[in-house]
Amino acid sequence: MTARVEIQHLYKTYARRGWFSKKAATSVLKDVSLTLPANRVLGLVGESGCGKSTLCKVLLGIEEPTSGTVRVNGKELFKVSARERKELRRYMQVVFQDPYSSLDPRMTVRQLISEPLDIHGLYAQDSKRESFLKQLLHSVGLSEMYLDRYPHEFSGGQRQRICIARALSLDPQVLVADEPVSALDVSVQAQILNLFKDIKRTRQLTMLFVTHDFAVARFLCDDIAVMRQGRLVEKASAQELLEHPAHPYTQSLLAAVPEVGKPLQALAAKAPITGEEELEEICPGHWCARYQ
Amino acid sequence: MDMKDTAVLQVCDLHVDFAGTGHSVPVVRGLSYRLKAGRVLAVVGESGSGKTVQALSLLGLLPPVARISGGRVLYQGKDLLTLPDEQLREVRGQKISMIFQNPAASLNPVLTVGEQLCETLRAHRVISRQQARKQAANLLQEVGIAEAEKRLDEYPFQFSGGMCQRVMIAMALALSPDVLIADEPTTALDVTIQAQILRLIKNLQQASHMAVVFITHNLALASQIADEVLVLYGGLCMEQAPAAALFAHPVHPYTQGLLASLVSVRSKVERLPAIAGQPPVAGEVPSGCPFAPRCPHATEKCRAELPVLQNRAGRLVRCWREEQK
Repeated sequence: MTARVEIQHLYKTYARRGWFSKKAATSVLKDVSLTLPANRVLGLVGESGCGKSTLCKVLLGIEEPTSGTVRVNGKELFKVSARERKELRRYMQVVFQDPYSSLDPRMTVRQLISEPLDIHGLYAQDSKRESFLKQLLHSVGLSEMYLDRYPHEFSGGQRQRICIARALSLDPQVLVADEPVSALDVSVQAQILNLFKDIKRTRQLTMLFVTHDFAVARFLCDDIAVMRQGRLVEKASAQELLEHPAHPYTQSLLAAVPEVGKPLQALAAKAPITGEEELEEICPGHWCARYQ
Repeated sequence: MDMKDTAVLQVCDLHVDFAGTGHSVPVVRGLSYRLKAGRVLAVVGESGSGKTVQALSLLGLLPPVARISGGRVLYQGKDLLTLPDEQLREVRGQKISMIFQNPAASLNPVLTVGEQLCETLRAHRVISRQQARKQAANLLQEVGIAEAEKRLDEYPFQFSGGMCQRVMIAMALALSPDVLIADEPTTALDVTIQAQILRLIKNLQQASHMAVVFITHNLALASQIADEVLVLYGGLCMEQAPAAALFAHPVHPYTQGLLASLVSVRSKVERLPAIAGQPPVAGEVPSGCPFAPRCPHATEKCRAELPVLQNRAGRLVRCWREEQK
């Protein structure tokens, strides 16, 4: 079964309280609406501080939105009972950016990847669990010999494979990946990107792939949404967006991507892009915010 | 004076070891390069390749566990590795300066930006506070910070990451050095800021005819800024060539693999030709060619014997396959 996630008019505001007065609140997400169609990879691209990671957290139910809705297969993530929410979250898993800080150093690989199974009471029978764990490690390109080792014995790329195995252990339908390759070495990044492509295909996953790198998005994503200061400024299919970027912000990001053989761009003073407008469809499937 | 062809900085057979438990671990294994005035050399490598360690050893900034076990670093005929601390301090910051990866961590959070810039100036030049402050403001302006005079009195936390890196660059360039060592100066920054900082370094470098050692893991960045590229792997130079030649026609299997595995915005591929395996960890570098375990062309000879660095038509390559040609 495949899942569909719908995000509608999502706002997230962090209130900053003073001692005597309520001070100005910081808006991190402003009116974000997105649909993750089943069995597709949506790339969310933006610079640091634009709200990408906050959106991930809300989507996973880690943070509650200030307003707006998140629907997973038609069920509202923040309205359902705690029991139902636990069930929904089983189907939504996450891979974080830094594989050095997202694995408990005191747990073995076996403990790390079977912890989710314990929580949800799956594969309680030892023999079945053992073969499941081995198979799981194989599916992310690790040997079963690694089951009883600790995270410090692994390189960054291998750790990220462990994180992916842990995310896949509950056979999720939705996978959120928050910059999963940006902390990896160049020669290892390609391996992990290929792995993501494989698991997406073999497991029919719906993915939200957060990245700041358009090249990574082009390789892996079917659709791309560009975010700026908490708002979406443009969304379209990956090919359309990269070949015909409409919003000046998308254009400036693309122009700055370093590539072999592309000359360094000149220092240009750019006019600030203003306008906080809703997205409108400029051609079928291509949405862009109005700007001045 | 014709400085065009003579090297401002020359590294000869540099060896650096880290003290391990009971034995020492080689991190840089016989690195040599010449840096000419007004040229940019990119040192490209993955984590653990020794790219940062080689740079720190040039300026005597190595951590206590590291030991330079051989080689020379020549600047104006003097060997920096044997120079007394006092004389090295004259060179460091004034003649050869450095910018680091994380700009926010390299600035002192409890001093204003102005105080830190003036400190650098007054440590090396005999000038008054007022003069130093004036120069500091000029420097900030030069690196593209608006309202420089006002911002001198602000603290680093009031600057964004890109602005902090501009301050670091201003500080590094304050004494018009001959050589700038930039260690991953844009890794912590967003792409648009990265492009600005890169352009800034290139402009300043061209204007003052400064030599730059640009350390990066990003081949695309290296291609945009460098005249010459040196590829490090396991503490060894695997290939060194003029940038245009290296990117058009990489010779070493590692360089080829790295370039092939780069993702591109301009074209979509179904699968990336990734290099199998992991980069070696210092101390566990195999005895033969360090790349042999991951190399698609590796033979028995590669695994047993370290290839020598050979000159092949203006480029240096460390690979046994080149020997046979």
